[in-house]
Amino acid sequence: MAEAHSMTRARVGGVLVNWHLVVRRVLAVLAGAVFVYAGILKVRDPLQFANDLSNYRILPWSLGVRLAFYLPWLEIVAGLALIFHRIFAGALVITGTLMLAFIGALVWTKMLGINVACGCFGAASSNLTFTWHLVLNGSILGLLIFLWVTRERVNFVAPVEDSPA
Amino acid sequence: MRPSLVRQILLLLGLAFLPAIGQALYFRNVASWHQPPVDSGLVSIAQAKSWGDTVLWVDARPEQDFARGHVPGAMLLNEDEWDAQLRTFLTAWSPERRVVVYCSAKSCNASHAVAERLRNEVGLTNIYVLEGGWEEWQKRTP
Repeated sequence: MAEAHSMTRARVGGVLVNWHLVVRRVLAVLAGAVFVYAGILKVRDPLQFANDLSNYRILPWSLGVRLAFYLPWLEIVAGLALIFHRIFAGALVITGTLMLAFIGALVWTKMLGINVACGCFGAASSNLTFTWHLVLNGSILGLLIFLWVTRERVNFVAPVEDSPA
Repeated sequence: MRPSLVRQILLLLGLAFLPAIGQALYFRNVASWHQPPVDSGLVSIAQAKSWGDTVLWVDARPEQDFARGHVPGAMLLNEDEWDAQLRTFLTAWSPERRVVVYCSAKSCNASHAVAERLRNEVGLTNIYVLEGGWEEWQKRTP
């Protein structure tokens, strides 16, 4: 185990770096940035997002329009939590649930044979095909699952012990 | 689920609630809270049919859906191949014609998007969206 850990560390400019830790942190920032970006796009036009939600034919308009004002901010808050690695596990659960909901809604509309704008990334994703939406959302969900599975192994607080030369 | 995880989730849910409430208050007089806003460009199938030959039908669905079936005489114009299809569309368009755009069903968005681009980017008038789309057309047309 110690040997495996030592393989993930390397000395860069006199500083001992745990590359697994760095990679996980970069991936968390990447995932968080995606949610912040998606949230900002929707916050700019909540009524368009309400329309996108309505197109899924899952929720009544009165509920959808309220969610359209709430979900983008939830994406931004959870995304920032991922970026700054605060309230991390909660943010992973929320973003993962959102991704599952988006993927489920996409598949649902495909089964109904409705051609709808996903709304996942506001107007920026209006030209993406169903397959690309699925690939994009699936990749983000995969990334979140990876971060969830490996979260307990990442110890950001404990100092990295220097091995004897 | 661990208590700390539940607390984290509740904290995030609560944090998102504050700006959402603020924005909803800002939009309180703009948003339609109980029913979707009425689209003034919507036209029923009966109304569109009554316009006869002046109607230029536009199918905003993907090409493969168009190939499976479409309103007789409809032209394909979707956002996937907008530039190429727009050129073909403009050769058939004339100012006195009414353009009726449709997509797969009542709740699809493509017809609204294409209609909006025709109005705003191309600057055309007399652009309508068919209520119920292709799904409704099939039901009402023997």
